[in-house]
Amino acid sequence: MNRPKSFRQSMAWLHTWSGLVVGWVLFAIFVTGTASYYRTEISHWMRPELPDAIPDPVAAATGAGTFLRKTMPEAAGWSIKLPNADMTAVEVYWWQTIGGPFHHALLDPATGERSTVRDTRGGDFLYRFHFELNMPPIWGRWIVSACAMILLIALISGIVTHRRIFADFFTFRRDRSAQRGWLDAHNVMGVLALPFHLMIVYTGLVTLASMLMPWAVKTGYHGDIRRYYADAGLMIAGRPPAGRPGAGLPLGEIVSRAIAATGETPEHVTVSNPGDAAATVTAYFEEPPGLAHLHPQIAYDAATGVELGRVGEAGAATRTGAVMIGLHEAHFAAAPLRFLFFLCGLMGAGTVATGLVLWTVARAPKNAAPEGLGLRLVRILNLGTIAGLPTGLAAYFLANRLLPVTLDARADWEVGAFFTVWVLAAMASALYPRPRAWSIALTVPAFAFLAIPVIDSMTAGQVRFVGFDGAMALLGLLLFLAARLAGRRALARRPAKERLHGTAEA
Amino acid sequence: MTAPALLLSLLLAFSGFSALALSQDRHHRAVIRTPVARSRIRGLRAAGWSGLGLSFAAAVTSVGWCFGPVQWIGSLTGSALAVVALIAYRPTALRAAALAAIPLAALTLPLALMR
Repeated sequence: MNRPKSFRQSMAWLHTWSGLVVGWVLFAIFVTGTASYYRTEISHWMRPELPDAIPDPVAAATGAGTFLRKTMPEAAGWSIKLPNADMTAVEVYWWQTIGGPFHHALLDPATGERSTVRDTRGGDFLYRFHFELNMPPIWGRWIVSACAMILLIALISGIVTHRRIFADFFTFRRDRSAQRGWLDAHNVMGVLALPFHLMIVYTGLVTLASMLMPWAVKTGYHGDIRRYYADAGLMIAGRPPAGRPGAGLPLGEIVSRAIAATGETPEHVTVSNPGDAAATVTAYFEEPPGLAHLHPQIAYDAATGVELGRVGEAGAATRTGAVMIGLHEAHFAAAPLRFLFFLCGLMGAGTVATGLVLWTVARAPKNAAPEGLGLRLVRILNLGTIAGLPTGLAAYFLANRLLPVTLDARADWEVGAFFTVWVLAAMASALYPRPRAWSIALTVPAFAFLAIPVIDSMTAGQVRFVGFDGAMALLGLLLFLAARLAGRRALARRPAKERLHGTAEA
Repeated sequence: MTAPALLLSLLLAFSGFSALALSQDRHHRAVIRTPVARSRIRGLRAAGWSGLGLSFAAAVTSVGWCFGPVQWIGSLTGSALAVVALIAYRPTALRAAALAAIPLAALTLPLALMR
């Protein structure tokens, strides 16, 4: 490494190395985050037994309350996610202490008992992997935050480094040298979606801001986070338990009061200290239409059904934060705009991937000279991440269809399939011959994604999944295209002079 | 309505970006096969920026100040990507596509403004 001389050179150095050290994790964060724009669609597809018809939320709430009273009457809290178009079963959580463990079950709204739907984490696995990497939450969130902060550095230093942002805005010279082609692809995907990239990394950090910077709440509220939430208009101040047992109304009764009060069905209800005389039921509603991600709430006395309070008007800071989180998650975006968010997410993953590949291409030994250890390591990690992760993803979907429905700990097996296949694909790619490694490594996930619609039609085979299956086939074809391009680039390197401009004859 | 509104923003931004690309000699040579005349650069740039401006106006008038800017920035990314892909893979089709986008945008306009 030479010592950089000018400001721009030092920024280029910073961009190269900051991008490299976190590139592999960032790629996984981008891919799973981009998939999370279709989290409900993925969950739908992964639970083919669930009907599309939305059951009555009042009866569903009563049934869930009965189940929870039977399961853990002395719980510290219950949470019930009511059925809606996104999820037609009832999801319940319950916990003995506020620190967990949090138990979870999916209930059949018709019977109020555990659902017989196949056990899966659905799109939620990808969503949580996006910011927790399947690690203990605190660890995962800190690692993801660190990567995001380094990405912010890489973005800013990349903008400084890119001398010809406007002159090369539309430039993708795919007929020149390999290095030129990769650099142009990296620049085009980075620059064209730059507003998205800056927005997504900054707002992503904002979603974890209270974990990253807890000092304001620690100083101002002496660590009483609940009082801060109440003051900020994020939740209703709770009330302490009375210390004597009490019996609540059927939960459906409170849900119907909430519907009568607002004209809307709550998204979910929580019950704090459900066995106590001072139990409180809080109804959470969907965010109001707008960019901000906020949840209006009403609290009820569980025993009498009397309204105890509503969440206060959110202050300016809370609203600003909520708009940023709303932009990050894009709940407001209907299908067409959501697709553009998805495309931008893919371009983010593509920018990271092309940057990683560029690092190796720029340092590739001439002719057939052997590659050094560092270069070999980066190249194999690139193959294992950029081609390996999609293979694991396809395996996750395939496992959902191929594992027996009644298998014990089935959801864990699906996640196991994701990681096992990813690791196997990564290890195999270390063995591929260097010139053909990319085309082989990308052909594997291409076949895996193309297998998804075939396997689905042979197992679940429902007309409503045509869209999802089509998207999987399209991803498979795109991976094939990428494999072909990678193969062609390795085999035939045409002289640059032959075709300086344009490719109309091709 | 959001789908036609987004399409309108995309079409206008696509035409605008095409004009901006054609104002650059390298892309003009690739697409039209001649160097760009000095006298045309100014016109192409003006057309390009007005395309982007109209795209913004279309987004804001059809879906409002809250979602409009978000939708506009999204359509900038999408349409610029299409321009880059055409220049790289089908350069001679760019001019026709950019010109065709204008009457298409006019057709989309009433749908986009419908509430």
